[in-house]
Amino acid sequence: MTAAETGISLPRASAERLAPTLLLMPLTLVAIVFFLVPLAVFFAYSFLTAGLFSVSAPLTLAAYRAAVASSLNLTLALNSITIGLMTAAVCTAAGYAIAYWLRYRARRLQLPVLFLITASMLASYLVRIYAWRTILGTNGLVNRSLMELGLIEQPLGFLLYNWFSVVVALVHIFLPYVVLVMFAAFRPLTPAYLEAAQDLGADAWTRWRRVILPLTASPAASTFLFVFILSAADYVTPQLIGGTGGQLLGVQIQANFKAIGNWPLGAATSLLMLASFLACFGVIQVALKLLRLDRIRWSS
Amino acid sequence: MDSTQRSPVTAAITACALFFLFAPLAIVVLFSFHETPSLSFPFTGFSLRWYRQVFSSREFVNAVWNSLVVALASAGATLVLGAMAAYGLTRVSSRVQKPLAVLFFLPITLPGLFLGLALLVFFAQVRVPLSLATVVIGHLIYVFPYFLLIAKAALDRLDPALDEAAADLGANPWAVFWKVTIPQLWPVLAGATTLAFALSFDEFVITFFVIGAESTLPMYIWSGLRRTIDPAVNTVSSILMLVTLALFVVAFLLAFERKELGQKG
Repeated sequence: MTAAETGISLPRASAERLAPTLLLMPLTLVAIVFFLVPLAVFFAYSFLTAGLFSVSAPLTLAAYRAAVASSLNLTLALNSITIGLMTAAVCTAAGYAIAYWLRYRARRLQLPVLFLITASMLASYLVRIYAWRTILGTNGLVNRSLMELGLIEQPLGFLLYNWFSVVVALVHIFLPYVVLVMFAAFRPLTPAYLEAAQDLGADAWTRWRRVILPLTASPAASTFLFVFILSAADYVTPQLIGGTGGQLLGVQIQANFKAIGNWPLGAATSLLMLASFLACFGVIQVALKLLRLDRIRWSS
Repeated sequence: MDSTQRSPVTAAITACALFFLFAPLAIVVLFSFHETPSLSFPFTGFSLRWYRQVFSSREFVNAVWNSLVVALASAGATLVLGAMAAYGLTRVSSRVQKPLAVLFFLPITLPGLFLGLALLVFFAQVRVPLSLATVVIGHLIYVFPYFLLIAKAALDRLDPALDEAAADLGANPWAVFWKVTIPQLWPVLAGATTLAFALSFDEFVITFFVIGAESTLPMYIWSGLRRTIDPAVNTVSSILMLVTLALFVVAFLLAFERKELGQKG
């Protein structure tokens, strides 16, 4: 802007600068009051002394000690880790295959399939869990079909109310998200990259290992972690179809607030869980950095 | 790599995944029309008895009404606050933009369990009784990041030259916003608002912690699931999915219509 213009433009320029700040104010306030402050209160509760559905003043680390010492918490944490890892692994592997097909092979089917996958994302969370309960149950679709076909005499009991049914339902919930993220990750990887690799003599396996995996590692690791965290912290699926063997730490945290009424213990367990998620995030970031996969520069 | 080459393995995985994603939902819808209370095959015949039963239940009608009110309120608040913030974000210096973007997108990274619990203890601490209003607040925090993601991406695609041209022709910032920016943006904003509505309508994880004595449609399904096997759950589930999917199609068409036109032009 030249000096000659400033005489006319100054009022407009200052109005333009003021307005965006004003526009941002309401949402910023909402995010602080109803997101940051509640998280701070939640954090503070973990250091308070527990009453029944209440807390009192003396600051203490008792809740953390109790959370770590509980053998139930330990079992549930291990369940959360294995079920979370299994769900994340299945989702990421399938996500890779589907995104690959969508990116390079789907052609005219690309848009319809993407639409279907996005649409399935919005199918109700509770309904999905419920659907698997009816399908995997003793009289469910799987058992009935296998018995009709004469493949089994008795209904298979291991399908429902254990870790298996929890993993199936969680994969059903998170797969659409993973496919969409992985499809976006494949986007800049034009067929030219794979053609170049092939011209240089790379077979299919080498193309995956040396071209596709390194160039998609960063978003793949993020989605893996995303699914792991959301699965490990799920408290609804295990309650409905987890039986005794498929319970997760989230269920116990939830119970500390709703049924048991020990809020500091629930808060401390939550924060330990969040801290370990942050640690996982840190480890993945460092690993990507060490492998030099954190910043890919795409030639356009 | 020959582009006509087939990849049977990835094609088969995609086909299986689509079957895996849709078959369970299709079964729920199918059995919502079953003439008997049986929830397993063989399917003996169609009937609307469960729909009649559900719609004559006062609890159900109440839950649907509450869900509509909550979703309308949280989508409305998201539209107003989110549109303002998205517009503001694209026009402030990056020194202000970066920390605010982190603050606005942080709620997405937090599992709903922790968001629900944090709000539960917060409302207890400030002695706000749990009600549908607290549910609206919870949903607002949950949905506005999604709204912002879509709205901000659309704003970033806008050509700033149009705003400048309008300003040079003497339009004040308010007029530029209403007469230049909004006409280009409204389909995306409408789509994102519809998505916010759909997310709120179906929300359970946070609602479970911040709701009072009232019920919403997902809470109604939850209590049905906790009871014994109830065939009406299929019906209520089908209705819930029909509503969210219809909203989603509307959101999709609104948000993408613009882009299609742009590509043709």
